[in-house]
Order: sequence, then structure tokens, then C-alpha cells
Amino acid sequence: MSAEPAVVQLRRFSKWYGDVVAVADLSFELRPGVTGLLGPNGAGKTTTLKAICGLLHPSQGEVLLFGRPIRRDPMLYRAIGVVPDGDRLYPRLTVRSYVRLHAELQGVADPGAATERAIAEVDMAPLADRRLKGLSKGERQRTKVAGAIVHQPALLILDEPMTGMDPGQRARFIELIRLIGAAGVTVLVSSHILGEVERLASQILVLVSGRLAASGDYHAIRDLMADQPRTVMVKADDARRLAAGLIALPSTVAVEVDGDALRARTRSVDSFATALPRLARDQGASLREIRTTDESLEQVFRYLVGRR
Amino acid sequence: MSRSLTLLRFSLGQLLAGRRLVIVALLVALPLVLPAVFAAGADVDPATFTLDLFRQLVLPVLLPVVALTFSTSSLGSELRDGTITNLLLKPIPRPAVLGGKYLAAVVSSLLVLLPAETAGHVVAAGGLGSTQLLSGMLLATVVGTLAYCALGVLLSLLMARALLVGLAYALLWEGAVVSVAPSAASLSIRGYTEGVLAAVLRGGGLDLTTRLGPVSATVLAAVVTLAALVLAVRRLERMDIP
Repeated sequence: MSAEPAVVQLRRFSKWYGDVVAVADLSFELRPGVTGLLGPNGAGKTTTLKAICGLLHPSQGEVLLFGRPIRRDPMLYRAIGVVPDGDRLYPRLTVRSYVRLHAELQGVADPGAATERAIAEVDMAPLADRRLKGLSKGERQRTKVAGAIVHQPALLILDEPMTGMDPGQRARFIELIRLIGAAGVTVLVSSHILGEVERLASQILVLVSGRLAASGDYHAIRDLMADQPRTVMVKADDARRLAAGLIALPSTVAVEVDGDALRARTRSVDSFATALPRLARDQGASLREIRTTDESLEQVFRYLVGRR
Repeated sequence: MSRSLTLLRFSLGQLLAGRRLVIVALLVALPLVLPAVFAAGADVDPATFTLDLFRQLVLPVLLPVVALTFSTSSLGSELRDGTITNLLLKPIPRPAVLGGKYLAAVVSSLLVLLPAETAGHVVAAGGLGSTQLLSGMLLATVVGTLAYCALGVLLSLLMARALLVGLAYALLWEGAVVSVAPSAASLSIRGYTEGVLAAVLRGGGLDLTTRLGPVSATVLAAVVTLAALVLAVRRLERMDIP
């Protein structure tokens, strides 16, 4: 355990609006490296990030950055870079003037050089003189990232940073974030897409309904998620006979038949998908439709909560 | 210090971007200069004409409209579209952010109002005319701008329809209520500016009868301006940013 205070500490942080609880009793610490904040929409990710940035007051508990509460010490922002959610850009500014504004407001010694370096890091140099209002969403996101890293912060907070980026841009962005994390910067990235976080971060925090559902190594949590039974819906011309065959499979948890459709709960979608065509052929049934019905991240997250 | 200057420069650029300054300046100057052109060719006393125009058009309408428009959009528009996070997530204390936004609104308003008033005065007088009148009008405009901008910034932190509420105060309260209930002038920025104007004009042949004396007007203007700014700072420091 390091003697240095954690870069970010949340101690029993809660935030509510009237009767609506956005985040409840959340505690965690962040140290250098990349951490993913994962959760479905409405889980409280943005609320948590805003509290860490000092944009929201905790209703209860405390949020400390480098051991201090940021709301009482604005000079801490020298060490913090933030990519907030939403657009939040000045449409009339060019990419260069926007990034330079951030450099000057941060008090960077050589704002011109820092601006060019940050723009190059996010691959926006060819578009540096374009106005922000004419850029694609992915280009605007990269511009926001340039503004957040222009002063080389020790803590980088990114709220859904890859929204609107194309696959190539995502790959380069992920590489950039990994490099920043490997250089000793504490990075917290939120996302509701499991695959994104998997490529970005080895440590993750999973938020569901404002509570911490899981935290720690990504792969361990992924294994937990893999245990969850999935539902597969099948439409066939003899669903009842097909159901009898499916229930005999070792991975099948339950099967319900409703007319020409059946819903099977299985612990292994892969083995189910392999066995189903064979069963259908053996029983002379014609398959008309096969689809999984609860692949959404939210279902997986709720499963995690249920395990606690 | 340089961060605060960057903030002020940027905020001014936001308020006066593109051709906005020219358009607003023309819209304000036209109703002051055009009547002055006609008055210059007619048999009217230019000082009396300019003073009447100032009291009938600038103080009740142009000054509050311009100052409230700039001040409610200076911080309020950035709060509404979320761009304020670009400024708040920086090593700048929130009172300094508010101060920069307030000063930007004041400077923008004065850049529009002072040249227009000066132009109207010069055209009506056919020259420099009464410097006492001109300095009285400009000083009253500065005092009014400081107060209306402080009010506008505060309102923009408290509600979404800050401009509407600010204009309702200027046009209904100061225009209608104060005229039927003179004691209400103690809560009227327009009343303070008239008091300051009267103080400068005193003894110059253009004496004004105002509801507030010069000392009361000046003190009240300062108190209202400072109180609005203090409340605005407290609000910005305590509010959650959406």
C-alpha cells in the first residue's frame, strides 16, 4: 500500500436530487493507470465524474483529489484534465484557438508549443484551422481531448470520450490513452460499451443504478458476467418438440413454449447455437428465427448486482 | 493574473463576436443620432433636447436593454449550453470567473452605449456642446451599466429566463411602479442613474428634479451593485453545474 494519498478518493459518496438517488454510498480509490468506469445509461457514471471534477457537491460523503477536496482548492485543476459529456464546445473557435484557450487558462508556460503538441497527439493537425462547428462529432471529441491534455495533467477524466469516433479513430485514441496511462497518469474513462473498456483499461468499476456493482480486474469481472444465463428466443414450426430436445442439453437452464416460439435460458450461447440446428434437423423442425433477447449490458450489470 | 486576462479577453470575444458589436452599436446609435439630426436643424435648445432624449430613451430603455442583454448572456448562455465547464475546470477561482464575465458584459455595454450617446450629443449641439451635460450622461451610463450588469449576471445564475425577468423589472417596475409610487425609486437603478446625472448637472443651468438625492443615489447604486455581485459569487460557488 502506497503512503501517498490516492489520486482520487471517494468516501461514501452519495448524490441525490429531491427523492431521486443518482449515486448511493460509493467508495473507491484511483491510482496511476487507466481505470474504466462502466455502466448502463443512467447508472450514475456522469454524476460520479462530475463530482470528482468538482462540478457537483456531494449530498453525502466526500470526494478528495490528491488528498484534498477540489471545491476548496481550484489550483488543483492545474493537475486535472477533463473531457466532459456532451458537446460543450465554442462553435466559432477553430481547433487551434480552442486548444490554445485551454493552454492559456491552465497557465502553460509555452501555450503555442503545447497547443501544437496536443493537437498532433489526437491527429487533428490537418484540421487545426477549421472551425469547430464544421467538424464531425468524432473530430470534436478529439479536439476536446486535446484541450484536456494540453497541460499534461496528472489526472485525466474522460466521459464517454469515444462517442462519434470511427473505428480507426477509436483504435488510435485507445492507443493514446494507454500510452498516457503507462506514463504514470491516472486516467478514468467512462463508457457503457464493454468492448471499449476492455481495450482501454485493466481495472474497472461497474456502476449499476448508482451503486458500485463490481470493481477490480477486468478479466475477473468478465468471468463473473460470463456465468449469467442468457435467453435465446427461437421460432420454429414445431416448437414444443424442439423444446423437449433443448431441455436435455446440459447448458440449458429452462425452456418456455408459447405457440410457435420458445424461450430458452442457457449458460452457454455457443453450445446452444451448435446444438440447435442438429436438434432441429433430427426432429424435422424448421427454424424461422433465432435471437438472443437479453444481450444488453444493462442485463449483464443487473446480474452482477444480483450476485452481491 | 494572465489567466484572468485570458478569460476577460475570451469573454469579450464571445459577446462581441463577428459583426454583433457593429449591429448592436448601430441599433443603439440610430435612435439617438437620427432625432439629433432633425433637432439640429430645428429651433430647439440642443442641451435641453439631448437631456430629454437621454431621460426618455436612454435611461428607461436603451441602457437596461443593452446592459441586461449582455450580462444575462455573458454567463447565462454558457451555463445553459454547458460550455461554462471549459472555464470552471481551470485553476481560476470561481469569483474570478464571475468577475471576468461581469467585466466583459460591462465593457461590451459601454462600447455600445457611450459612443452612441456622444454621437447624438455632438450632432444635436453641432459641436462639443455642453461638456457638463455630456460628462453627466456618460457617468450616469457607467453607473447604470455597472448596476444593471450585476443584476443581469445574478439573474442568469438564478433562472433560465433571466433577460425576460430583468426587462420586466426595468420596464414595469422602474417604468410603471416608480412613477405611481415614488418611494419605490430607492429600489430603482434608473432612479440611481438620474440622481447621479442630477448631481453632475447641478448649477449648470440644467437642474433636474429627481426622487433621490445625489448621495443617496450613489450609495444605493454602489450597494445594489455590490450586493448583486456578492450574491452571484455565492451562487456560483455553491451551485451544481449540470
